[in-house]
Amino acid sequence: MKDFEQLVAQLAGEASMVKPAPHPYLLSLKLIGAGAVYLAVSLAVSGLRPDWTQAISQPWFVAEIVILFAVFVAASLSAALLSFPDLHQKRGLVFAPLWMFGLFLIVMWFAWRADSPPAALPLHTIECTSCIVLVAFLPTAWTFYIMRNYASTHFHWAGSVAILSAFSVGALWLRLQEANDSIAHVVEWHYLPTLAFAVLGLWIGRRLLKW
Amino acid sequence: MRKALGGDQAAYAELLRETARLLRPFLSRRIGFEGDADDVLQEILVSIHKARHTYDGNRPYKPWMYAIAKFRLQDYLRMHYADQLRHAEDIDDLENILGADVTEPAISYESISGEVLKLPERQATILRLIHQEGYTSKEVAATLGMTESAVKVAAHRACKVLRQKLER
Repeated sequence: MKDFEQLVAQLAGEASMVKPAPHPYLLSLKLIGAGAVYLAVSLAVSGLRPDWTQAISQPWFVAEIVILFAVFVAASLSAALLSFPDLHQKRGLVFAPLWMFGLFLIVMWFAWRADSPPAALPLHTIECTSCIVLVAFLPTAWTFYIMRNYASTHFHWAGSVAILSAFSVGALWLRLQEANDSIAHVVEWHYLPTLAFAVLGLWIGRRLLKW
Repeated sequence: MRKALGGDQAAYAELLRETARLLRPFLSRRIGFEGDADDVLQEILVSIHKARHTYDGNRPYKPWMYAIAKFRLQDYLRMHYADQLRHAEDIDDLENILGADVTEPAISYESISGEVLKLPERQATILRLIHQEGYTSKEVAATLGMTESAVKVAAHRACKVLRQKLER
């Protein structure tokens, strides 16, 4: 009991005025804004795909890009909420990336069916995954740096959505930069590795977000 | 909590005490050992202190506080069960012990009787009367013309000698 009173006195002694954390919506805007600026700068540096005018006339390509951006937004929002111990009491929104990812799968299914006759497979394979990893590295580091300032009590899930958010920036960049219409290649070397890294994020979250 | 976030130390101390009052029954229902429950409670208070900037004054305090408490409790339980697993006996290591015939007595009735006969006559008689014939110490004392406490001491010494001989 004496220890307890000592602890209370010590903690109360350290109770200086603290700067409250921003609202998670503001925090997610910060993550989304930074990710969008990074994507724009990366595309400005690397250039858009040469056939972009033709690509944006294909409805399933546009749908894919829009939904992928929605996955990025939903994952950033979820990452911001998961940075707070009580998820800012908005538990339903935390699962938004799952819904978006489900929607993304449906779009990819239709895009796959629309890819008839199938576009020629590009010669490269793992290079695409490597590019996504390289582009996503900075957003990943920045997202984890931001999240570590708060107090996540769901660090596995938080790590996973943080990676999903950052890697969806990488996947968007590659899709808008590379002149490639083979859905089989895109699924195999762009999106499945992104998903695999999101699963790896469960472990990374435990390592980086535990407090 | 809002006052505490503004730097009011007295309000903060009161908040921590009130939080502890809420958490004690919550923890003692989930943790068997009182000492451990107190340790976890203190860890939770430190965590609340570290994460206090994530509390939004416009929302209720309890869900935020319980989220941290559950998080720390899960941490404790995870470590506790991991510790138990580390110290658990491997069933393979027990095979040698389990293989032994525990229903077979190591010492036979004949060997005990033989050792009793080797004791000094008075001690052997006392043991026989008490353990074989079922007399009380008082009755044995009356029969042998001894005091009751002397009978008990003699019986105790005889048992000690017997134990030493049989364990050898």
